[in-house]
Amino acid sequence: MGDVSLETKAYAKIILHAAKYRHCAVNGVLLADASKIRDGAKNQDLDIIDTIPLFHHSHYVSPMAEIALTQIETAAQAENRVIAGYYAGCENFKDNTVEACPGQKIAEKIVEYFPSAVFIVIDNKKFVQHLDTPAIKLYKYSDGKWKQRDINMKTLFHDPDVLKTVSYLLQWGVEKDLIDFDNYLDDITQDWTNRGIEKVLAMSTKHTNKLDAKD
Amino acid sequence: MADNYSELSFNEAKDLLRQWRENNERKSDEVLRVWSVIFEHGVKKLGNEKHLVLEQVFYAALDCHYYTVASYCSLMLQEEFPGSFRVARHVAALHEAQENYEEALNTLNNIIRLDETNAAARKRVVAILKAQGQIQAAIKELVDYLKKFMSDVEAWQELSELYLQVQEYARAAFCAEELLLHQPHNHLAHQRLADIRYTMGGVENMELAKLYYCKALKLNPENMRALLGLFLTTNNLLTHYKSSGNSGKRKEAWRLCQWAQAATARQTRARPEPNAAPLANAMLQLAITD
Repeated sequence: MGDVSLETKAYAKIILHAAKYRHCAVNGVLLADASKIRDGAKNQDLDIIDTIPLFHHSHYVSPMAEIALTQIETAAQAENRVIAGYYAGCENFKDNTVEACPGQKIAEKIVEYFPSAVFIVIDNKKFVQHLDTPAIKLYKYSDGKWKQRDINMKTLFHDPDVLKTVSYLLQWGVEKDLIDFDNYLDDITQDWTNRGIEKVLAMSTKHTNKLDAKD
Repeated sequence: MADNYSELSFNEAKDLLRQWRENNERKSDEVLRVWSVIFEHGVKKLGNEKHLVLEQVFYAALDCHYYTVASYCSLMLQEEFPGSFRVARHVAALHEAQENYEEALNTLNNIIRLDETNAAARKRVVAILKAQGQIQAAIKELVDYLKKFMSDVEAWQELSELYLQVQEYARAAFCAEELLLHQPHNHLAHQRLADIRYTMGGVENMELAKLYYCKALKLNPENMRALLGLFLTTNNLLTHYKSSGNSGKRKEAWRLCQWAQAATARQTRARPEPNAAPLANAMLQLAITD
């Protein structure tokens, strides 16, 4: 019980965000389907269906985070989704623990509203263009602390080709098209829900399948 | 690949590199791909731009962990300028990138000993401390640096960010104020200070945040962060004045809040955005209805 799984697009956006701003710390929130969530249950299976990339600078001041989270919450409610977790990657290559991540306050706030929330830390050292591991670490909140969970590769992804697909995206440079909330605040015509990335993803999944058929 | 750099002609490649250099763009990946075009034609053909290009490629290569390319550029430059501090800094940077921090520091300290005014070398020392995760030590070094080079705007900004990282907001605000003195017409400097004041919280800080957001908006009415920040700040002040019964200030905050809301609506109308509905809803949810 208490397994965490990620949809391809949710995982892809985390990785692309980290790849676009490889020299910065990045963060964002994870969304789950509200209809599959049992209220108040602490140790339930969690399926992350989407992520919203937030910031790559000004991590330590709060006004824009407040705006972003309220905006995401209303948008999520409209689609019957809940904020079910938080992800972050550190600026320093060697840092890959929760303690070194920006925005732990945001994560704790999420836990207050959603007790079985998950904290994903991007593992800088495993982050390569040809992903052979997911390059993330999972943490769950218990007894006032974030405790690392083992990743169960069998249940983490629905689609077994996720790593291959996301690696293709990295090689094509798709990360340049990813929009985070900072990009949106610079230019409000940008789409932080990243529907464009979802389209590319659908195409490249087909592409991966085709390549497999050739092999 | 979306961009096909290998089809560029030599002159196009040269111009492209110059353009990125002058705009200070961090396109390390792309620089290296264009470099392979230039390398095929021979570095000599670059003429008087040769050394600048070598330096540009050197830093791009470090960024992408291509140490062989970096060493090549560094050696070429060392051969031509054996006694140059600028080239010595490259040697230090190469050590730093390969995490030989001790050797990097030795080289940098040598430069500083021979040339006390070498600001770039001193700043690199701060960067090394930061890379090692010693934020407090980095702050100390940067403070020492700013005692000597107090007009270095970038250094003040970095110090402000380092203080934010260790949650010393009052000191971060001081640095941001210093930045403001250097760049009084930069709307981002005002907005950044306001962001820090808002984060600190409390009525006095909110009043200050309000002022700086207003100034930022006066300098650039399209600064979305300042607009939304002003909205949050005035909302916050409204709840405070509601309980303390200060009707004059309350009225002013109310008017500003209404203005910020209307201005945001104008912005979103002027440029069609995909997420207009959630933004408007979020503001409604946050707003205090009277």
